[in-house]
Formats: sequence, C-alpha cells, structure tokens
Amino acid sequence: MDIRLSGISHSYGEVEVMRDITLDVPSGRIVCIVGPSGCGKSTLLRFIGGLERPDRGEVLQLGAPPTGCLNPLTYVFQDFALLPWRSVAGNIALVLEDHGLPRAQMDEIIQDVLARTKLSDFAQALPKQLSGGMKQRVAIARAMAVNPAVMLMDEPLSALDSQTRELLMDDLIGLWTRTPFTAVYVTHNLAEAVRLGHSIVVLSRRPGQIREVVHLDMPLAERGLGDPDLDRKQQYLWALMRDEARAADAELIHV
Amino acid sequence: MSEAPDTARRVAFRGGGFAPTPRRFVGAAVFILLIVLAEIGTRTGVISPLTLPKPSDVLATFGDLYRSGLLWKHLGPSLSRLAVGATLGVSLGISVGILIGLFSYIRAGLVPLVAALFPIPKIALLPLFVIWFGIDEGSKYALIAFGTFTPTVVATYGAVDNVDRTLIRMGQSFGLSWVSIVRKIVLPGAMPGILSGLRISLAIAIILLVAAEMLGAEYGIGAYILEAGALYDLERLFAGVVILSVLGVLVSMAIGLIERRLLVWRV
Amino acid sequence: MITLNRRKALGLMGGAVTAAGLATPALSQNKKITVGALRFTSHSGSFVAVERGYFADAGLDVELKFFQAAQPMAVAIASGDVDYAVTAISGGLISLADKGAIKVIGGALSEEAGIDGQKILASDAAFNAGLTSPAGLDGKSFGMSTAGSSFHYMGSKVAEAEGVTVKFKPLQKVGAIIGALKSGQIDAWSIVPHIAKPLAGSGAVHIIGSIADYLPDYQVTTVFTSTQNASDEKAMTGDFLAGFSKGVADYNAAMVDKTGGAEDETAMVDLIHKYVYTDRPREKAAPSIINGSMRLNAGAALNMGSVEDQLNWFKSENLVDAKVTLETLVDASYVETT
Repeated sequence: MDIRLSGISHSYGEVEVMRDITLDVPSGRIVCIVGPSGCGKSTLLRFIGGLERPDRGEVLQLGAPPTGCLNPLTYVFQDFALLPWRSVAGNIALVLEDHGLPRAQMDEIIQDVLARTKLSDFAQALPKQLSGGMKQRVAIARAMAVNPAVMLMDEPLSALDSQTRELLMDDLIGLWTRTPFTAVYVTHNLAEAVRLGHSIVVLSRRPGQIREVVHLDMPLAERGLGDPDLDRKQQYLWALMRDEARAADAELIHV
Repeated sequence: MSEAPDTARRVAFRGGGFAPTPRRFVGAAVFILLIVLAEIGTRTGVISPLTLPKPSDVLATFGDLYRSGLLWKHLGPSLSRLAVGATLGVSLGISVGILIGLFSYIRAGLVPLVAALFPIPKIALLPLFVIWFGIDEGSKYALIAFGTFTPTVVATYGAVDNVDRTLIRMGQSFGLSWVSIVRKIVLPGAMPGILSGLRISLAIAIILLVAAEMLGAEYGIGAYILEAGALYDLERLFAGVVILSVLGVLVSMAIGLIERRLLVWRV
Repeated sequence: MITLNRRKALGLMGGAVTAAGLATPALSQNKKITVGALRFTSHSGSFVAVERGYFADAGLDVELKFFQAAQPMAVAIASGDVDYAVTAISGGLISLADKGAIKVIGGALSEEAGIDGQKILASDAAFNAGLTSPAGLDGKSFGMSTAGSSFHYMGSKVAEAEGVTVKFKPLQKVGAIIGALKSGQIDAWSIVPHIAKPLAGSGAVHIIGSIADYLPDYQVTTVFTSTQNASDEKAMTGDFLAGFSKGVADYNAAMVDKTGGAEDETAMVDLIHKYVYTDRPREKAAPSIINGSMRLNAGAALNMGSVEDQLNWFKSENLVDAKVTLETLVDASYVETT
C-alpha cells in the first residue's frame, strides 16, 4: 500500500505552517522527512496518520493494506507512549485486545514481535524498569504487532543518547532487511536520515515546503557509521538546510 | 610524594542540608515527650485539671470504655456511618468526576455547580438533611456522603485532566475503541490522582462524623465526644479524640497499602 | 429626687430580704464585672437590675454578655471571662464544679404549685397516634440538647415516675429540637412555658403534661459563679446577689403577683423586650413575655433538696463522677436554702 499526499496546506490561526506539499511514499521504502525546527514535520506525520486534518489537500491510501494488517497506519512516538501500568507484553497486548483475536493467536504475535526486537526475556518487566532504548524497542515491537502497512515514526530516536541511538539504528536496519516495511521517518538528525532513508525529503522553514527530495541508492545493510559517501550526502543536506535552520532559530515562537 | 605547600588549604564543604533524610523514632519520641510533659504537668498541678486531663486518666477512661463493651457500641455505628456515607460519596464523586473529565458539556454544566457546592459548610445543612432523610441513619449517611462527594469530584476530574495526552493519542493511533481508551488508559492513568484525593475525602469523612452525630445519635464516637464536651468531661473528650485520630491514621495506612498495590508501576 | 412607689418599695423589700442573709453591701464603687445571660425571660433578674440601676446601687458596673447556650456560658465562668450567670444544673456544670472551677451560689427559677411551669410536649404525629399523656411515653423518643442536660434529667424523671422507658435523642440546640418535634422526627420534649405555649398554639405540637406534677419544687435554674469569686470575693458576690434579688423582686411583683397593675406590667414588658424577642415587634413579643412568666426565686433562695436530687441523678446515670458532693457544687453561705 502506498501513501500519496497531494497539495497539503495548513495554518494555525494566522500562522501558515505548511504550503502545498505533494509527496508519494512507495511501499517497502523508508522516506525520511528532515527540516529545521518548526517546519511542520511532525504535523505532516499527524496528517498522514489521521490524528489531525489539513486545511487543504488530502492524504490518500493507494491500494489495499496487506492481509492480516490490524492497523494500517501505525505510529512510533518520540516519547515511546508506553502505558506505565502494563508490562512489556501487556503494552503489546493492548493494541491487539480490541481486534477479537483468539488468546493463542495474540500470545503468538506477542512472542513473535518480542523475539524480533530481542525482548523475549523482558516480557513481564514494567516500563519503569527499562532503559530508554529498550522502551523504544517495546514501542517498535508494539507497532509491528499490528502488522502495519505504513509505520509513522516521529523522531523515534531523539529521546535517546547517541550510543543507544546507534544500536537502535542497527536494529531498525536489521528489521527492515529481514522484512522490508514502509515507513515515514521524521527526524531533525541528518545522520539518521542518511542511514535509514531510501529517500530524504528536505522541508524549508515555515511555511514548510518541499525544497528537495534526495534519493539514496545504497542498500540499508551496507550503510555504516562513518561511510564517506553518506558523509558527503549528509554535508550536502546540511548545506541545503544551514541558512534555513539559522533563520528558523532566530524566529520568535508564535504558537 | 611532595609535601603540600604552605598555602594548600582543604576545600571547605558547603553542600550540606536541604535534603530531608528519614529519621526514625523522632516522630514517636516527640509524641511520647509531649505526653510525659502533660502527665508531669497535671500531676504536679502546674497544669490545672480544667486545662488538660491527665494522660493516664485518659488511658484509664479508654480502658473502662473497652472493658464495659461501650467502645464497640460506639465504634460500630460510627464505622458503618463512615463506610456507607463515604462509599456513597466517593463512588458518586468518582463517577461524576470521570464524566466531567470526559465530556465537555458535562464539564461546562457541572464544574460551576461543584464549585458552588464545595465551600458550603456541610454541617450547616444538617437540619435540612434531617428533614429530607430522617433523623436516623439517613441524614448521617447523607452528610458524610455529601462531604466526601465534592472533594472526590474535584480530585477525580483533575486526575483525568492530568492523564498523559500522548498516551490517549497513542490509543487513538492504534484504533482503540473509546471504551477501551477510557478503561485501559484514562482510568488507570487517573488512579494516582483519585487515590490521593481519596485521602483527603476520607479525612473529611472522619471530620464530618462528629457533625453527623450531632443530631439524634445515641451511640457513635462523635456522639461520645459531643457528650463528653457537654459534660465537660475532658478525659472522655480526649479518649474520643484519640479514637478519631487513630481512625484517621488507619484509613491513611489503608490507602497507602492500596497505593502500593495498585501503583507499583509508578516511578 | 427619690419617690418611693409601690414597685420600688417592693424591690427594696426584696433586697432587704436578701440582705438579711448577706454581709452588708460593700458598695465597692463601680467595680466592673461581667454577667452572662441568655435571652430568656427567666434571666430577667439581671436585666431588671441593670436597667433600674440596682447593680449600680450595689456599687457594681455590670456588663451583660449574651450567650446562645448555657454550656459555653459555664465554660466562660470557669475561664474567668464571666463573673456571674444563671443556668440550669447540668452534667457539665457539675463537672466544672468538680474540677474546682465553679460554685452554685443561689437559686433563680423553680417550679411552684399554682404557677405555670415547664410543659411536656408531644409531636402532632405522636399525639394522634395516642401519646396524649406522659404515661404513653414508653418506647418513644424524647428530645434533649445533650446527655446530662436538664432536658435529660426531666425526661428521665418523668419516665421513671411513669415506669416507662424512653429513647433520648441528643440534638444539641433548642432550635434543632423544636424543628425535630414539629416535623415529627422526635415524639416528645419538655420546655419552659414561654416556648411551650406558642408551639402548642400553632397546632404542631401538643401539651400532654406538666413537669411540676413529677418534680414539685424543681430547682430549674441557679445562680453560679467561679469558685474564686465565691470564696475570695465574698463582698462582691454579696453585692451582686443583692442587686440581682432586687431585679427579681421587681419582676415577680410585676409579672407573677401582678401587684403593680397593668401599668407596671407594661413597663416590665418594655424592659424585658429590650433583651428578649428583640427580633419581634413589641406587640408580638408581649404575649410571649407575659405567657412565659414564672416566679423567680425571691432573694435567690435555693432549694437544696431539689439540687441534691439532681446531683444524685447525674451520679446514678454515670454522667458525673460519683465522688462529687453537694458541698463541692454549692456554696450555701450566700442565700437562704430550703
């Protein structure tokens, strides 16, 4: 299933935050969205998942979601959004309970996603016992449990320290390599974008518009820390964004 | 190893204090000290019997109360009034609080009403309750229920308001039904606030017990205290007050226990 | 300019009677004292003595301090905020005496044959259900302010005499008892006639008996003061009782014996209306004031027999310490006792 955004524009009151964004998210690819703060990256992601409505333009699902998909558009949040009163397994069960699956099948799904995210030993742990990286792995496991057509990842690694971020990027690449998934990945971190993105959408500062879409052909599994090709791409992206970022930084906050 | 030069001075420590650390037994020691002082004062006559009863006499009065079986005769009705009144008030309060937290129309309609009811001294309404609910148990239940209702409502809708919105958005993003979101996210999320509100509500219930037993109660700790006050019997007055205090401590401990059970997940 | 009319003459005589049992008035000039009172006609002795200058004549500069209930007044005497007051004998009063804080020094009001005294009331519902005389009180609820109040004593004594058991309902305040009786929440109560008669007149309650039939010569209220005043300020206490007794004599003459004629009664009603039923216009207050007339104890004489009976009842009910003696409660050196 593909996602198509056509002519998305949006304002918060007087402040225009987004202007005429048209974009395709092809199936089985990771599309990174980067841009200076306040350019509406996260808002765009909320439009795609239906948590907010744009003033103009529309978000279309092209084709049917794969069979066995319980929740086609599934988020992974920056702050994990785990229920602190439920165990790891319980948090994953939460998103399955409403679908009337037989108990055995639910258990099977939970076992499977825990195994894929290497969390099998922590099924009964409470979120307060987990490190930040583990919490985000639980959130990713939860997202995979509903077998989504598109994962909507809102700065999923931004709350983590840099070492944990490296580890999790490796995990994500491993997951994608085994079973390619479709994702829209919003980040302000260019290193993440060049490691994980099949294409990178650069937004301008407010009102957010698409400045350029950069495609990377190198397979995800081959991208490593300190790869010179990736460094060049990252520098190119930074050159595109530097002035915008500086100008955005100097703006007064309106909203 | 070179010796420290003459000018070397140890850096002075200046980071102490401002960090409360638990000191066991100090609380108990203060209690005991005050009681001993009162005992000495009343025995030597420094404190006149009109000012304060002898703590040992209070203890003896309590002993008499226990031996004569009157303790249970007074505690029984009081506990059942507390239980019925507080259960009514708290369960109604939690329900209304949740409705206010969830529905904008109910919030707009009821929040001003609750704000208007909150500051009413419930004792002032006792004669009215006697007319409405009868002089027997009805008016006592009603007074305690009404007294616990408003603080529970306020605590509950505050707790619902404070439930992490990102968790609710998460629930919506996974397509959870409204009922599931309320039952699995909003209610457990509001539980800490509801329980801490319960502490206050139940303390108010104990305070109101004395007021509730002002009218037409033959037995009950509140009636016992009021009678002791009318007779200017300080020993009985203090014995009754101590029973109420102990009741308050027990209730607070019970809620602490529930919190530890239900809220293990809290960081 | 002194003109002795009959009223004043009687007043003086009353004073003289009292003075007989007292030390000569000390006439300590303008000694400031505080006298506690409730806004009841039974406290008229103090009102008259203030209004007609009898306290001033005795060298006392009296400030009246008003209370809503007898209980806080007793505590105020014990704390020294009030010097003298009039109240019913209650468990609280005896407890305070037991603690060495107060003494009863005279009588103020007692039941007397031939004069309307306290009435026993039944609620309309109970009355219609057959409670037409105190004999039918068995199993009924009887209102009282608190345990150990005079209502408790009266109710118990009536029940004892009739051989019945009643359930006492503590309601703290007279207003609450009236409300409960009117609405049928309680079945019976006893109260002074100036409250009982208007209630019965309204039809909401019925008078079913008189306390005097059960407790003849019942010493309803007494004059009391702090133990310190009773033992160390004998002159001042004597002066107070002298002034108070003059006020009582005036009141009895005008309202009970009616020896002064209609004019005297009118003047007395005007005087009392300054203190009692002040929220009602005079023409509405007057019948209540006149209806409520009970003889105040001339010369503050005290019926020791009745006081002893009351004390014994409180002891038997375990409301006060069994060791309290009559001497602890009463300082009988000031007034005539019977």
